[in-house]
Amino acid sequence: MTLDQLAENESGIINQINDEGLAIQLLAMGFILGGVLKVERIAPLRDPILITSGTNYICIRKNDAKNIDINPIQ
Amino acid sequence: MLIGNPNTGKSTLFNSLTGLNQKVGNFPGVTVDKKSGNFKFKENHINVVDLPGTYSLNPNSEDERVTKNYLENTSEQELIIVVADATNLKRNLLLFSQIVDLGKPVILVLNMMDLLQKNKHEINIKKLEKLLKCPIVPINAKLNKGIEALKESICNFEYQQSSFITEKSSNPIDETMLRITKIEKLVDAVYVKKGEDKSYLLTKKIDNVITHKVYGYLIFFGLLFFIFQAIFSWASYPMDLIDSGFIFLCDFVSKALPQGVLNDLIVNGILAGLGGIVIFVPQIAILFAFISILEDTGYMSRVSFLMDRILRQFGLNGKSVIPLISSSACAIPAIMGARTIANYKERLITIMVAPLISCSARIPVYTVLIALVVSEEESYGLFNLQGLLVMGLYLLGFISALASAWVMKLIIRSKEKSTFTLEMPIYRAPRWKNVGLEILSKVKIFLFDAGKVIIAISIILWVLSSYAPGKTFEEIESKYSNSIVDNRETKALIASEKLEASYAGIIGKTIEPFIKPLGYDWKIGIALVTSFAAREVFVGTMATLYSVGDPDNTLSLREKMMAAKHHETGEKLYTKATTFSLLIFYVFAMQCMATLAIVYRETNSIKWPIIQVVYMGALAYFSSFLVYSIFS
Repeated sequence: MTLDQLAENESGIINQINDEGLAIQLLAMGFILGGVLKVERIAPLRDPILITSGTNYICIRKNDAKNIDINPIQ
Repeated sequence: MLIGNPNTGKSTLFNSLTGLNQKVGNFPGVTVDKKSGNFKFKENHINVVDLPGTYSLNPNSEDERVTKNYLENTSEQELIIVVADATNLKRNLLLFSQIVDLGKPVILVLNMMDLLQKNKHEINIKKLEKLLKCPIVPINAKLNKGIEALKESICNFEYQQSSFITEKSSNPIDETMLRITKIEKLVDAVYVKKGEDKSYLLTKKIDNVITHKVYGYLIFFGLLFFIFQAIFSWASYPMDLIDSGFIFLCDFVSKALPQGVLNDLIVNGILAGLGGIVIFVPQIAILFAFISILEDTGYMSRVSFLMDRILRQFGLNGKSVIPLISSSACAIPAIMGARTIANYKERLITIMVAPLISCSARIPVYTVLIALVVSEEESYGLFNLQGLLVMGLYLLGFISALASAWVMKLIIRSKEKSTFTLEMPIYRAPRWKNVGLEILSKVKIFLFDAGKVIIAISIILWVLSSYAPGKTFEEIESKYSNSIVDNRETKALIASEKLEASYAGIIGKTIEPFIKPLGYDWKIGIALVTSFAAREVFVGTMATLYSVGDPDNTLSLREKMMAAKHHETGEKLYTKATTFSLLIFYVFAMQCMATLAIVYRETNSIKWPIIQVVYMGALAYFSSFLVYSIFS
């Protein structure tokens, strides 16, 4: 399942990031492989998305979110 | 050298260290601000450079590339100060670990210690110092705590060789994960959490409203409207003061100096030009105050979130909104404000289309011209027709800006992938010292960079309109010296004839064949030329041409213009067709030389200002031609 498929307030564990440039960027911003992330808010037209992981809080575009594989958690 | 993640209070620290001993320059070859300054501590004279914030040495934007290049090219003695947010230590240490492994001397500064305490967290600094093998200085930049200790640490620094990770991997992702794993263990050993992350929770609560599907946008547009209004109404009082001040000054100088060329040059050339720039300072100061406060509190990132989807269609960025709205005051500070847009292409497009938004200088032009074809009482339903026309012109500017942006998006090639992964900082009260310094800095840039150009052009135009070939001026004066009446009206007539005969007049007559299809005559031609100094000069030029002694007397100007006849056809000059055509020309044409100067500065090349003049000029010419053809 990819990040763009999560709804608001749902969480997931980051499995893999399919784009190398994106991966480096996300790792450096605190979104690490194996970390837990949560969808805080989705903009109208489902793009962009606000996500958090710990105290790291960022905005990411839908196209990039499609490259993030996650395991959803209840 | 100060380096660190964005939003760690690096700028506040820089300001604390250097105070007013700082200046803003450019990193060579790129348009990224380079802030440098200095401070003295016990006979040590220390230079400080503030580098743009970056998350790691794997760069993702021009800002980050600049930081990486600068860092790698420093000498061995240059001390690197890594500024970290104590409340987000794990992430902040990634950059630190990379710098240590470059063999650079480092001091780690832990900022935001006050937040740490508020959340009831603790860091065992002594233990961390041993583990990281470098000096650590806790500070609170906002309250100026720990700054002296930092200065002490800088001056007494002794380098300790150390390395962070020993196995490097060629794959950057693997290497980063290695670092992260080590950092996790390290921080867990020194960080104690005794409470909740209060500021973070508060931020999320606020964001519930700020990013709400409905309320978020309402708040944003309400805020924009407020800023728009504020720029015009709050600035009007100081602007009037400046205006009166300059009138007084011009009057004083012209009476104090002996009559003659120098007097004329200073009063009508230099002072007039200067007055034209200084009067915009209140608007610019208010604009940058708002921008700076919104950035400092963290709200701007949310604006990017709200507006990104729509603006992306036009090749713009969420952060383009503020420059575009600010252009309605003056495009110059707006273009300067586009620096916050990281992506090169999006920033360029914003700069290229901002001048299409109708700025305050166009208002006097719109007012005079609209009054020629529509009287004040006319209305369309409930709405005043004059007001509707003005709104229509503004709307036209706005729509053309979006359309041009869309076209440029398709044409301009960019190698940079549009990365839009943006951090949402926690909300905080604005740091007023930072805001103040920011306003000061931007006003200085406006006055000196734009100012230089405006004064230069004003002087050139003054020369062009004050001199004529041969003895033409003397002939005009002798013609009138025979008349008995020596009053304001005669003076005005003399001025008008002189302007006609001057070099400026000759230029106007020369371009007349080119502007005839648009419905203009050579007098309008002169006004188009003088508008290059500043658009509102149009009114003053018209007043002189139609020998209205006092340009503020708009009623008289209107009468004269309505009675004006085309010198060839003998018919009324300012018909609906000509007037509308002229209005449209002013909506689109790139006339303000000062704006071009700033675009040159901000894009670091002569190519873009030239393209701007050409595309906007073409747009103006063909639209005016179209309008004239339709209405005549």
